[in-house]
Amino acid sequence: MKWGMVIDLAKCMRCHGCVAACRIEHFLPFSIAWVKLIAYEVEDKNVVDVTTYAVRCNQCKEAPCIDVCPTEATHRRDDGIVDINSDLCIGCRYCVIACPYQNRTFLSKDKLVNYFPNHAKTRFEKMREKKYPHQIGTTEKCNFCAERIDEGLPKGLKPGQDRAATPACVNTCQARALTFGDLDDPNSEVSKLIVERKATQLHADYGTDPSVYYVDGKIGGKSNIAPEDARTGSHIKEFSSVEKRAKEIFSQSK
Amino acid sequence: MQHTRRQWMVQHEWMVKPMKQTEWIQGEGVLVWLSEVFSSLGTGLYLVSIFLNNWWGALIGYFIVVGIKLPLHFVYLGRPFRFWRALPPFTGAWRTSWIARGFFFTTLYAGFGLIQLITSYLILYPTGLDSSVVNTIFVVDITAKILAGITVVLTAIYCGFMMSFCKSVPFWNTGMLPIVIMNAGIADGLALMIGVGLYFGGVDVMMLEAVTRILLLVNILLIATYLLNATYGTDTAKLSAKELISGKNALPFWVGVAIAGIAIPLAVSLAPYFMGEVSHSVQIFAIVCHTAGAFALKYCILNVGYYKPLLYSEMRK
Ligand code: SF4
Ligand code: SF4
Repeated sequence: MKWGMVIDLAKCMRCHGCVAACRIEHFLPFSIAWVKLIAYEVEDKNVVDVTTYAVRCNQCKEAPCIDVCPTEATHRRDDGIVDINSDLCIGCRYCVIACPYQNRTFLSKDKLVNYFPNHAKTRFEKMREKKYPHQIGTTEKCNFCAERIDEGLPKGLKPGQDRAATPACVNTCQARALTFGDLDDPNSEVSKLIVERKATQLHADYGTDPSVYYVDGKIGGKSNIAPEDARTGSHIKEFSSVEKRAKEIFSQSK
Repeated sequence: MQHTRRQWMVQHEWMVKPMKQTEWIQGEGVLVWLSEVFSSLGTGLYLVSIFLNNWWGALIGYFIVVGIKLPLHFVYLGRPFRFWRALPPFTGAWRTSWIARGFFFTTLYAGFGLIQLITSYLILYPTGLDSSVVNTIFVVDITAKILAGITVVLTAIYCGFMMSFCKSVPFWNTGMLPIVIMNAGIADGLALMIGVGLYFGGVDVMMLEAVTRILLLVNILLIATYLLNATYGTDTAKLSAKELISGKNALPFWVGVAIAGIAIPLAVSLAPYFMGEVSHSVQIFAIVCHTAGAFALKYCILNVGYYKPLLYSEMRK
């Protein structure tokens, strides 16, 4: 079993829902984003458009961040996820520099400031300390919501199909631009998408063999435009998990 | 429909053009820069000293590495008191990680170097020890010298390899970098050795200056080749080289590396050929300049480390 993700650039409607969902799921400090939408300008016949490209840790199969880590804090799990054991990390930041995709962040003291400086912590921030404490002085990155997968699998849930065992960003994507599943299973949706839609990896030339694949929308090209249903949201059948998750957190914090 | 720029996206306008590495040069990163400089100075001085059998030089070199370089790197770590996790047997990371290897080599050097300093001191200043004990000390001293010599060389080169391993920073990602750093380190060590010789005596300063001269010339050749190599490399490596030669870092490069670090020490080492012996104060001035050059070289290399962008113009076509 090797988890992977396919991102459909043409479907992405740049709502930043995945960025928010990840922040909520992992109680991320304000200055950190594990998932990013890279913004860049596309110019065509003097019309300048700003479009985005969704990135997160690629869970590389040949990950330089694993090679450089002096304590083996960064390691590959059996399911292919590149994870960080914060209790082993010494904060040398070698992995931050060695990641060619710049998907890692060192959590320094100044990055863990209150959402509203000079004000008390929000309820969300207070919950962070209980539910997802971040260790200052260590490095962080996307982990494909390994906690959700680990909780879901013993219950017989299928990551990528059952929401409770699927990464928060995938659940929340209104445009259904994100697909998650088992790269080792040729019948999984991700494997089919990769074959049928001729998916590409971001900078395969780096030799890192990412587990995140992209379909449609040449990087930075004009074809990277959301289809009508994604723009109107007409295909959305249920509420975003962001909203559900927020309700869940706030009900627990009372 | 005319689209306009959206301000809210600016936060992730990132990696679309070469972005500077900051972790190892800005803020706390200054400690990495300083620790790399002291590593170079200390290992160079220690290596030259054991080669010339100069105890004081070896002691100062050892102190620079163990007493200054190591604590600086230690303080830099986000979780310094876990440093032991980077050492075998607590990790097997030394198989792939240059920083783990570096910690390991430095720790071994700290041990072997200390033994060597003690045994060499006992040999230099015998205190009525039994001849069999003295013979044992000789054997231990030679062994410690060899082991300390090997580990100090490894300590000297790991910084260069640690940086050159990073494919993310094309300017560093070249086999030339460890050679540039190693050669500069030995030249720095020789310069400091001249200082030790001037103060404590017992060193052939003329001979040291002759070797320094050769190393400085090799340094010029290596740095020029390194920069030239970068200009033929990727756009990002080119940008780094350009920034050193004519951009924001031109001042530390030309004034610090080229003039203070190379031209002045080279001129002073050549002066006896033209004007007879130079005074001690001029020699000390040259040593200070050379040492300032060591700081400038590492600063320049670290400060122009640009990450290759993820999205660049060719990809948009
Ligand atoms: S994207 Fe970067 S952090 Fe993630 S696995 Fe690859 S090298 Fe490591
Ligand atoms: S910062 Fe932590 S995870 Fe990264 S290389 Fe250093 S010890 Fe490993």
